[in-house]
Amino acid sequence: MHPTPITIYVARDILTMNPMQASATHVAVRDGRILGVGDLAELAQWGDYTLDTRFADCVLLPGLIEGHCHLKEGGMWDMEYLGWFDRLNPWGQTVKGLHSMEAVVQRLIEIDRKMQQSGAAPDKPLLAWGFDPIYFGGERMTVEHLDRASTTRPIVIAHANGHLMNVNSPMLRIAEVDEDIEVEGVVKFKSGPRKGQPTGELQEPAAMFLVLRHVGDAGLLSPMDETGMLNFARLANMQGVTTATDLVNTLSEADCAILESALAKDECCVRILPAFKAFHGTHGAAQGAEHVKAMTQRNTDKLRYGLVKMMLDGSIQGFSSRMRWPGHFNGAPNGIWVTAPAQYETDFEIYHRAGLHIHTHTNGDEASLAAIDAIERVLTRSPRPDHRHTLQHAQMVDAPMFRRMASLGLCVNLFANHLWHWGDQHYEMTMGPDRAHRLDACGSALAAGVPLAIHSDAPVTPLGPLFTAWCAANRITPKGRVLGEKERLSVMQALHAITLGAAWTLKMDHEIGSIETGKRADFCVLRDHPLTLGAEKLKDARVWGTVLGGQVFPAHTA
Amino acid sequence: MSNAVSPVAIPLTVVGGFLGAGKTSLVTHWLQQAQGQRIAVLVNDFGELNIDAELLSARNSDTIALSNGCVCCQIGGDLSQALLQVLNNPAPFDAIVIEASGVSDPWPIAQIALADKRLSLHGVLVVVDAQAVRQHACDPLLQDSLMRQLRSADLLVVNKTDLCSPVEQQDCITWLHQTLGPVPYVNSQHGQLALTLLQSDWMPEPLSDGLSGHVCTPHCTHEHASEHHHATDHGALFTSDCRRPEAVFHTNWLREQLKQTPTWVMRIKGWVRTHEHGWSEVQFAGRHASVRRARHAPTQARVLTISQRSVQSAQALASWLDTVFEECEVEGVK
Repeated sequence: MHPTPITIYVARDILTMNPMQASATHVAVRDGRILGVGDLAELAQWGDYTLDTRFADCVLLPGLIEGHCHLKEGGMWDMEYLGWFDRLNPWGQTVKGLHSMEAVVQRLIEIDRKMQQSGAAPDKPLLAWGFDPIYFGGERMTVEHLDRASTTRPIVIAHANGHLMNVNSPMLRIAEVDEDIEVEGVVKFKSGPRKGQPTGELQEPAAMFLVLRHVGDAGLLSPMDETGMLNFARLANMQGVTTATDLVNTLSEADCAILESALAKDECCVRILPAFKAFHGTHGAAQGAEHVKAMTQRNTDKLRYGLVKMMLDGSIQGFSSRMRWPGHFNGAPNGIWVTAPAQYETDFEIYHRAGLHIHTHTNGDEASLAAIDAIERVLTRSPRPDHRHTLQHAQMVDAPMFRRMASLGLCVNLFANHLWHWGDQHYEMTMGPDRAHRLDACGSALAAGVPLAIHSDAPVTPLGPLFTAWCAANRITPKGRVLGEKERLSVMQALHAITLGAAWTLKMDHEIGSIETGKRADFCVLRDHPLTLGAEKLKDARVWGTVLGGQVFPAHTA
Repeated sequence: MSNAVSPVAIPLTVVGGFLGAGKTSLVTHWLQQAQGQRIAVLVNDFGELNIDAELLSARNSDTIALSNGCVCCQIGGDLSQALLQVLNNPAPFDAIVIEASGVSDPWPIAQIALADKRLSLHGVLVVVDAQAVRQHACDPLLQDSLMRQLRSADLLVVNKTDLCSPVEQQDCITWLHQTLGPVPYVNSQHGQLALTLLQSDWMPEPLSDGLSGHVCTPHCTHEHASEHHHATDHGALFTSDCRRPEAVFHTNWLREQLKQTPTWVMRIKGWVRTHEHGWSEVQFAGRHASVRRARHAPTQARVLTISQRSVQSAQALASWLDTVFEECEVEGVK
């Protein structure tokens, strides 16, 4: 039998993330795995090879790992993006962020015109996502804005937080929403010529139901499909990501069929770890644990079942997270439990005893503390080595909690993108200066010895680990505040958190996360050297593409 | 797009209550003792649901069909979607019940019944664990969630009374009433509650022995005169009052009045004439009142009020209803 061929890649630099050999110029790949790292003379000793020079001017990093995102990042693009921040679409175009209500209206006018030109039926709904009025300083969107875009085509704009939407008058008519409707979430004009009439803003499920029952199939509620998966893979490729989670998945036959058929294709160039939805789900905990364990039999190189997702509270910017004293800075009441702490503990113990790996959503510090308390009791009853249970978001965890997490063997995946996306709102509205300064306290986590990853929670914020690393390294807000200078990560610490750090929280660090012999040949190929760019420009590093299991995928660019 | 509006709106009941209070036993009881009614129950998960094997007819990942025509559906991620599935079922259901999660506030869920003409909000039941509720109310993590739930209740179902002494049971009710005011309640064991509470045409008889919220079961300790006869020692728990107000009301005035609905009133439903809308539907459910344009004209004005029966409330109810629907008519201020 002939040995399979060896390819040796030469690069400007290889940042291995292996501290014992931090840098190299060449990496040899055989059978999709890393055969050796070093200089050409060392690697040539393996025998015949092909020297591949296409990365000679590039810098190789381990393939980046997004430890908390959702495949929906690729499934939103049937709809129009109306967010505040610029966003890359799966076709490599940057959709410009919209910084005023007028800009939103103008964008909608333009979209409607394009729909007309393309021959779309005049009553075909225009669906949009990503809008967030929190950036508009109290100004609310109403039918007066949206009717300027169209008085015939129904327009539905889902807000970024998922709890609200705005619609125009044609949509209100279809949904039969008028001044008589008494659902509390239907906002009405308080004064002016339209007093008592609906403004078109619909809050919370009952009010949104009025609209969703008419347009639900058209995007907002549609399940993940193969196109969405492929779009996700394109976005991952453009951001240097080779491994990502889908951190809530029902693991129904239909959802698994999509995962399996899409990932069987070479062009779907990403490894996916779906996490089983173990809250408000299809199974009791015992059956759920059995289901996840059974699914692991179907694991492949690119698809890894086995993670479990639990959820304790809501979101901070939605004022629905569970906060400890002194509560919300603006006096809003405490948020909600998504799962009662007692239920969480019971279910957690069942999944834990089944040997599974649990990721828990906690946003507010009361929720994080409830999780730590519950897990401490579970681990006391049922110790298990190397469980690597992880708190996800954990945005308000302070140093004492991190020290407890370290002693319990817990990992953390902090939501560093929040520092940029909602940092000013946290400082001004949700938690005030002191706690905003220790928001997503990366420095404290590392100081306490808690294994650290950082994430985007895409599509909540855009997928892009280098941007996430930039957030953690600078902790700057759009208004120019620096939140907690001492909590900043160094560039190398930030890069670790999006490679080997994230791999550790997924129990994948023996396979991915660094460039060293035996691991999978997954690389992020950069045109710029992150250490040369430094913390301030880290987000500007240009991505050439990725290598997944030795296969090269140049990024699609517009 | 929505289906044609069916002539009779389906009554929707939301069942709230803390983890372990007995919500699941309650909805399971209704599903299995449906007495010819087709009931659709929406639950968060099938985890704790225990349907008798002989009643199971079909099961897939999000729906369990029973041989008696009832179904139990899983809400999964999205209540709207689960509810649409039920509403779009070719054979309409007689009643829909949503089991809220153990920590959620039932009122935002109940409002979904106001958002679809095919539905009518029938009420919010909150199941209380007679033994544990005061302990939960002292837990700083849970206190606010518990109080939000309790304040949404039209009817408190004080469950697990079989596990309490009579003194404990009374203490629990005293505490509930001190905390919330005299909210209507029924005692129950194992979540066994009369199916009539789900039905839109349910009406306790006025001023005579009406229906007790209790259903006799094998767990009962009293003597059963016959299988479905309610022993008199339970007493009638609810009373009804029917008015036929002739006045034409101002909608806003009526809304303001109904905001003051006494705590012991469980439900108001009826039709009156208003200046703004002509025939209008009046409703009080989920501790919220609404006055809206009626979908069809009734033959005459009629307002039915159901409240907890007690010596004190009987008179108070009559005099409050007089204030709203009768007396002011003379002064012509409606």
